[in-house]
Amino acid sequence: MKKYVSTEMNPEIKLKINGLTYKLRVTPEKTLIDVLRDQLGLIGTKKGCNEGNGGAWTVLIDGLPMCSCLLLAVGLQNNEITTIEGSKMDEDIQIIQKAFVEVGAIQCGFCSPGMILSTKGLLDKNPNPSVYEIKEAFSGNICRCTGYKKIIKAIQTASFQINEKKSL
Amino acid sequence: MSKFQYVGKRVPFKGSYEKAQGKALFGADVRIPGMLQACVLRSPYPHARVKSIDISKALKLPGVITIATPWNTPTTKFGIVKNDEQFLTDEAKYIGDEIVAIAAVERDIACKAVELVDVDYELLDSVYDPIEALNCNSPLVHSDFTSNLCHHVEIERGDIFTGFNDADANLEKTFKLPFQYQAYLEPQTATAMWSDNSLTIWAPGQSAKHLSDWFSSAYLLPKDNFRFIQTCVGGAFGGKNYMRVVPIVSVLAKMADAPVQFVLDREEDFLTSQPRVPMTINIKMGITRNGIITAKETNIIADNGAYAFLAPGVLEVASVRVDTLYRFKNIKTKASLVYTNKLAAGGMRGFGNPQSHFAVEVMIDLLANELNIDPSEIRLKNAAQVGDENIHGYRLASCELQSTIELAKIKSRWEENRTKSKKRGNKKYGIGMASSVHVSGSVMACPEGDGSSVMVQILENGRIIVFTGEGELGQGAKSVIAQIVAEELCVSYDQVSVEDLDTNIIQGGAGAQGSRVTVYAGNSAILASKDAVLKLKESAADIWNCNVKDVIFRNAKLINVITESELDFSTVSKHYIHMTGGSRVIGQGMFSAKNVEIANEIRYGNISMSYPFATQVAEVFVDVNTGKVEILRIIAVLDVGQIINLDAFEGQVEGGIAQGLGYALFEDFIFDKGTLLNPNFTDYNVLTIKDVPEIKIYTTDSIDPYGPFGAKSVGELALVSTAAAIANAVYNATGKEIVGLPIDPFEILK
Ligand code: FES
Repeated sequence: MKKYVSTEMNPEIKLKINGLTYKLRVTPEKTLIDVLRDQLGLIGTKKGCNEGNGGAWTVLIDGLPMCSCLLLAVGLQNNEITTIEGSKMDEDIQIIQKAFVEVGAIQCGFCSPGMILSTKGLLDKNPNPSVYEIKEAFSGNICRCTGYKKIIKAIQTASFQINEKKSL
Repeated sequence: MSKFQYVGKRVPFKGSYEKAQGKALFGADVRIPGMLQACVLRSPYPHARVKSIDISKALKLPGVITIATPWNTPTTKFGIVKNDEQFLTDEAKYIGDEIVAIAAVERDIACKAVELVDVDYELLDSVYDPIEALNCNSPLVHSDFTSNLCHHVEIERGDIFTGFNDADANLEKTFKLPFQYQAYLEPQTATAMWSDNSLTIWAPGQSAKHLSDWFSSAYLLPKDNFRFIQTCVGGAFGGKNYMRVVPIVSVLAKMADAPVQFVLDREEDFLTSQPRVPMTINIKMGITRNGIITAKETNIIADNGAYAFLAPGVLEVASVRVDTLYRFKNIKTKASLVYTNKLAAGGMRGFGNPQSHFAVEVMIDLLANELNIDPSEIRLKNAAQVGDENIHGYRLASCELQSTIELAKIKSRWEENRTKSKKRGNKKYGIGMASSVHVSGSVMACPEGDGSSVMVQILENGRIIVFTGEGELGQGAKSVIAQIVAEELCVSYDQVSVEDLDTNIIQGGAGAQGSRVTVYAGNSAILASKDAVLKLKESAADIWNCNVKDVIFRNAKLINVITESELDFSTVSKHYIHMTGGSRVIGQGMFSAKNVEIANEIRYGNISMSYPFATQVAEVFVDVNTGKVEILRIIAVLDVGQIINLDAFEGQVEGGIAQGLGYALFEDFIFDKGTLLNPNFTDYNVLTIKDVPEIKIYTTDSIDPYGPFGAKSVGELALVSTAAAIANAVYNATGKEIVGLPIDPFEILK
């Protein structure tokens, strides 16, 4: 096998993902999704395009839903990154996951991690979104399987359950 | 109260927790130590001969392991219906055709290496229009074939001449139907690994059987040496039947002697998914004053693009299936599938059926207008009925088409809404209807006869693992199978798990295509459960030292009818392991549909286990200034037999309608000669959450005698008539005939 250039020449960066700090070397043009999937093995974030269309590749950056295929990893050293694997530490996300499963909003499931994190982002900002507000917030999240009806229902169910938990 | 414990209920989908948590493994999540990544050099020309390929610079790039070209890979021609494709080609037939494939330690390196390859092409004449391509002096897409005609269908039943003579009104129209991209979110992906002479493929493929048939013929590999392991599938909709990534990873993995993965980027996926076949359909229909259809004559020209794949089957479906909707007596159909220098079209959800349904269902409304009667009356008068054997020999053992029409009228307040005034400020209101028929599996998918195998294993403590040859696309197949097994064995749904498809464990079935999984795997799961019960009885008889026939199975208990003593499920399954010296209770289910005839040359005979029917009503607003169509509501009434999983059923209908709306309103490929101009989700519009209208779903009571618990199929049926219902609603609103898709606002304004 021919000699293969290692990444040692690349700058070392620190990324805070799901509460853990990772030290790693990346080439400056590496997008967050490639670092997550290929270097850190966090394959819960799905990849389906390279232009930020679709939303399945959504992660939370400081709590805001963003497309991991558009962000360069080197630029995120001062941010908190949450991926779907971070749901273990977040009770709200677990409630959202359960709502998606229980109302049948997951068919192939490729859009689901992105949908679930986008829901978390929306409900943090707006705990009681109307259907109109849900539609506005999710206009960039494609789901080809469900026709969205059950996704809207899942978001509403999660919103209700999270609010109920908070009022206890 | 329902008589079932699980059948017809809402239960969470198997595997959906893992999907929600990001733990489910899709095609690109497969990781094997030492695995390489692939990238492909695609032809920038629609038709060109490769004169030379210089790979020297690419080979020098560190990290590049192997480079496959048309000259160091097998040159066998292979295919499903036509042997017209190769591993890599030295004569590009469309923009995107695969010329060179490279495996490297990282994808970025493989892609960089592709840029370093120099190919010298000799440009050849191209043809893009199928009608031009039929011209005898047109350039040949495949120079080794004598013409561009890929497949041809000609069928005549009854007497078309008399049929038109008996008509009081005749109408002839030409319809143009576009491409439609499957647009699943997970791009096509495959991972290959060889050991000795055996190949393992991990991929989100739809059909184990077809993948192995197709691929074994390509590699001259015995089928037994081909192992397919299905990963989670991130949507398929017909596009993951024959994935070109499979031959490419296989050949690279062989050459590199290492596992190789190939994940398409979105643009590549647009070029190779084999989207819905575009068709021009000329149709003439005759009708009596009373609304009885007397004749139908159809001419179809379908644009295949560069390679046949499944498109000949699509043409067959487009030629005949809609004839099961009404009691047609005299029909004549000619259909041609034509090669052009464009990307290959093939199977997408509906498989030729939405195209011909659009033509027929729009024609019904135009004829109704000629006769000045309500189009629903024509549908009701001509509708197929239970017990019918139609002109092609299809037998309808269940059919509630008329009830779907009647219920759709009631639920949409049809009479009132059809007649009320159209104008609403700047908008015009319209309401339209279209009906549809599909199959539950078809001999077209398996000409040698279809079947399915399911294996049920009962573990020591009563947990149940089910193996199926059909796989799961995300539509809920595993859940449906688990519900059926739980129902049959009277155990809890949570106790049953369904394994991923692996052809080293079970014979691969034809898979999730032709709307066949629920009926085939479902029937097979019933048989497998019954077989497992037999073994449980043997075990109980052994414990009691009695005759097996004195043991019955009821409510998950084994009962000795003589002594009236009982044993529970887990005691008996544990005993079976001791009794046999280590085997679990294994129930085998093998099902083949006895009421289906094998495909024959005259295309006559029953092709499917059952036929599901539906009627959809669309209510729309059309903006009189912009021509924009806004969908208010879709009402769908389905005759699909017994529903097994209510959430999966609704999910299929809602998702199907969403795709049908896209087909009606905005999905299409835009070409400049051979170049696809919109191969991305920015320029190719799929339905977003903002575009979904209200969807109301109803069912008619029906039980099919052949389906598991009386079930028929639903997945493809759901979208077959959506576009036609919308076109008819726009016609009702504006009086403009809609003869092409996607509906063009400028045409409405004209
Ligand atoms: S569930 Fe398949 S894309 Fe949303």
